[in-house]
Amino acid sequence: MDLATIEKVVAFIGALVVFTFALIGLKGEWHKKGLDDNVTKVLLGLMAFGCVLVVLASFGVLPRGGGGA
Amino acid sequence: MATVAPGVPTGPYHAVLDHIHPEPTSFIRKYIFSIDAKVIGMQYFITGAIFFVIAGLLAEIIRTQLLSPHGAILSAATYNSVYSMHGSAMVWFVVIPLLTGAFGNFVMPMQIGARDVAFPWLNLVAFWLFPVAGVILFSSFLVGAPDAGWTEYPPISLQGPLGTNLWCIAVFLIGISSTMTGINFMVTIYKMRAPGMTFTRMPLFVWGQFATTPLLFIATTALGAALAALFIERVFGVPFYDPKRGGSPVLWQHMFWFYSHPAVYIMIIPGFGIISEVLPTFARKPIFGYKMIAFSSVAISLLSFSVWAHHMFTSGMVPWLQLPFMIITMVIAIPTGVKIFSWMATLWGGSINWKTPALYATGFLITFTYGGLTGFFLAAVPADYHEHGTYFVVAHFHYVLYGGSIMSMFAGIYYWWPKMTGRMYNEKLGQLQFWLTFIGFNATFTPMHWLGLLGMPRRVATYDPQFQFWNQFASISSYVMALGTVLFFYILFDSLRNGKKAGPNPWGARTLEWMVSSPPPYYNFKKIPAVLAAPYDFGNPLPYLGLDAAPGATEATPTSASHPVPTY
Amino acid sequence: MAVSVAVHGHGPDDHGGHDDDIIYQETRDMRLMGFVLFLVSDVVLFSSYIFAYIYLRNSIQPTWPPIVDGHQLPRLDTAFAAFNSVVLFGSGVTMHFALESWKHANKPRFNTFMWLTIFLGLGFLGGQGYEYAHAQIGGWSGNIFGASFFTLTGMHGIHVFLGVCFLFALWIQTQRGVYTEHRFFGLTAGTLYWHFVDVIWVVLFFLFYLW
Ligand code: HEM
Ligand SMILES: [Cu+2]
Repeated sequence: MDLATIEKVVAFIGALVVFTFALIGLKGEWHKKGLDDNVTKVLLGLMAFGCVLVVLASFGVLPRGGGGA
Repeated sequence: MATVAPGVPTGPYHAVLDHIHPEPTSFIRKYIFSIDAKVIGMQYFITGAIFFVIAGLLAEIIRTQLLSPHGAILSAATYNSVYSMHGSAMVWFVVIPLLTGAFGNFVMPMQIGARDVAFPWLNLVAFWLFPVAGVILFSSFLVGAPDAGWTEYPPISLQGPLGTNLWCIAVFLIGISSTMTGINFMVTIYKMRAPGMTFTRMPLFVWGQFATTPLLFIATTALGAALAALFIERVFGVPFYDPKRGGSPVLWQHMFWFYSHPAVYIMIIPGFGIISEVLPTFARKPIFGYKMIAFSSVAISLLSFSVWAHHMFTSGMVPWLQLPFMIITMVIAIPTGVKIFSWMATLWGGSINWKTPALYATGFLITFTYGGLTGFFLAAVPADYHEHGTYFVVAHFHYVLYGGSIMSMFAGIYYWWPKMTGRMYNEKLGQLQFWLTFIGFNATFTPMHWLGLLGMPRRVATYDPQFQFWNQFASISSYVMALGTVLFFYILFDSLRNGKKAGPNPWGARTLEWMVSSPPPYYNFKKIPAVLAAPYDFGNPLPYLGLDAAPGATEATPTSASHPVPTY
Repeated sequence: MAVSVAVHGHGPDDHGGHDDDIIYQETRDMRLMGFVLFLVSDVVLFSSYIFAYIYLRNSIQPTWPPIVDGHQLPRLDTAFAAFNSVVLFGSGVTMHFALESWKHANKPRFNTFMWLTIFLGLGFLGGQGYEYAHAQIGGWSGNIFGASFFTLTGMHGIHVFLGVCFLFALWIQTQRGVYTEHRFFGLTAGTLYWHFVDVIWVVLFFLFYLW
């Protein structure tokens, strides 16, 4: 396994973990109503989306045409 | 805690409003590094006035140069620097800080029945950035002042003298100051209104400030980004705008106008607010269309984010974008027109008391409307192809900026001067000053319309001899304006020394700032009043409860010097 | 007593108790709103440069990365960036749980999560350094690719760095006993700021590595 593959595997596993915990955090926030809670919901959601991007990247789905290096 | 009068909604935020610190005693904390919004407002006024005089002198240098078709006094290069500095100083160091920082800080907290703004320390920092940035801007004359106009388009600005870097820094700093003020004012107005002051009971000046805040803290950041990129391109050679290296000069224009079109509304919406206070007070009538005036400010503010490319019709932007930008630009004229008609209806049938502020407000109506009409011409793409880059544009924006923003500020200063200083100004001289300014202004800028239509380009040190007559006419008229300005400062100094005592409410106005003594006490209100209605119902009793005279109300007394509540 | 209005008379003996809580709550709400507005204005800062990047990138279609002096620039290292992104997103989640622990008065757990966050943040910065050292795209001032990449990620890096300092300062404050279980606005602000920095990276990650 070359370095890039190791990085991708670690990124994939890490993304799954982080995604899960982001959702757990989101669930905990969900019923709260303050301005800070609402902003946190949006930001946690986007972070979870970031994890999806990482998963896509680790499978080479994105970028189209394959990554560099 | 005292009881609440029946029917008065208690605002959710009055506990913190009521909180009082003792007045500082040392000179420095009282007048230099003060956190009192009124003092900060006065500091803005004084600093802005100094910059106004400097930038005004630059303007007179421009007009003097144009007395002769070959340029009377300056080299072409110096002339470029002079008009660039004139425009930059007037926009960022006079009109914006005066209309937001100065008027906003002095008037707005009192009008909402608050003791101060939400973040007094932030306010202090925002103010002090202003003179510092101003000194940086003007010191660029020492190393070669910027010479690509106030818009500093690349690639010319990339080749500009060293002072262009200072220009970037100065405008960046004043931008940070604007951003702070915007955030501060929005939180203040949103959270700190007196109990009972719902949004539709706010004075229209407060509405003006409120509608301006998103422009201040959203648009200004885009300018900061553009400026920082220009700076690093000039200093570190990082390519953003240089077409030789793959950059794009049009990119600058997009970033710049994404800020600067909203900025022209930063420079006029607070002025709308001033006019909306002055007109009903002197017509002694309720303002016509309160809600329409209030909401149209917000509509203008939001729409103004989507029209910036009307400055770029000739810059080689994609053709299919021109039509939408033209249409949205024209749509903005609708809420603007709504305002103009509401003000005219306010004057209609009123027994107008023609004091200087009323004269200025009426003068504003005339000149601003005129400027709006020429804006409409410019927004039409085919017409703009002919007019862009000519004196027609110069005429347009001086009608809206001098005839609009500056005239509204004159109205506001005459109006609130008794409140600021406790003294009246000399009314006869004030009226004379109005006529000098009004006639001088129109005579200076009206001819520029036809000069522009005949094709006289802006930003050139010389001109074709066929344009000589109207240029000389404009230059001589501009000296009349200058005389008016000198007289203005004379009137203010005269009032400070000889003015009659004003008393709390010389105009019989009805907003809250007139309910306290002149000049206002340190914490504005001994007690926070409650508000029962919008302030413009002339003829009815005042819609306030719990003003100082109310019997039995407890007075707020200073607690301790440091904040007693840990607010981390 | 005749008509009078909701006025709290704050006498010197008024401290503590109920009023004190109200004042804290109102002050906190104002600060929170101000802080969120500051974040909004910071979003515009990033958006402006993102706009610049997209604009420049489109102006030289169809080749991206661009060809400079007849030489095709390589793409950036996606695999490493994916790894580094997870580090940063992870720190966002740990920060969230740090704040939650504080709210539940679980100080040891708070400390653990706080330090995890700070270390992950520093790790991300280290990763950025590694990335900068290995990116073969002609440096900051070489061409428009380098210009937009280093400006945007550099600005983001500065934000991360300031964020780490912010979090560290907050941690010291907690050790000095500045915050209580009910009054901890600083921690709320720090968490929001840190989340914001992470989310900006989501966008940058997509724009520079996945697009
Ligand atoms: C009815 C409203 C308005 C319309 C339709 C309008 C339209 C325009 C257009 C299309 C231009 C570009 C002209 C060109 O460069 O070819 C322009 C320039 C300008 N406008 Fe307006 N405008 C309006 C109101 C205002 C107001 C209220 C202000 C400021 C208080 C303002 C300040 C300016 C300035 C400063 C410029 C010139 C910028 C420069 O090139 O140096 N305008 N306007
Ligand atoms: Cu415009």
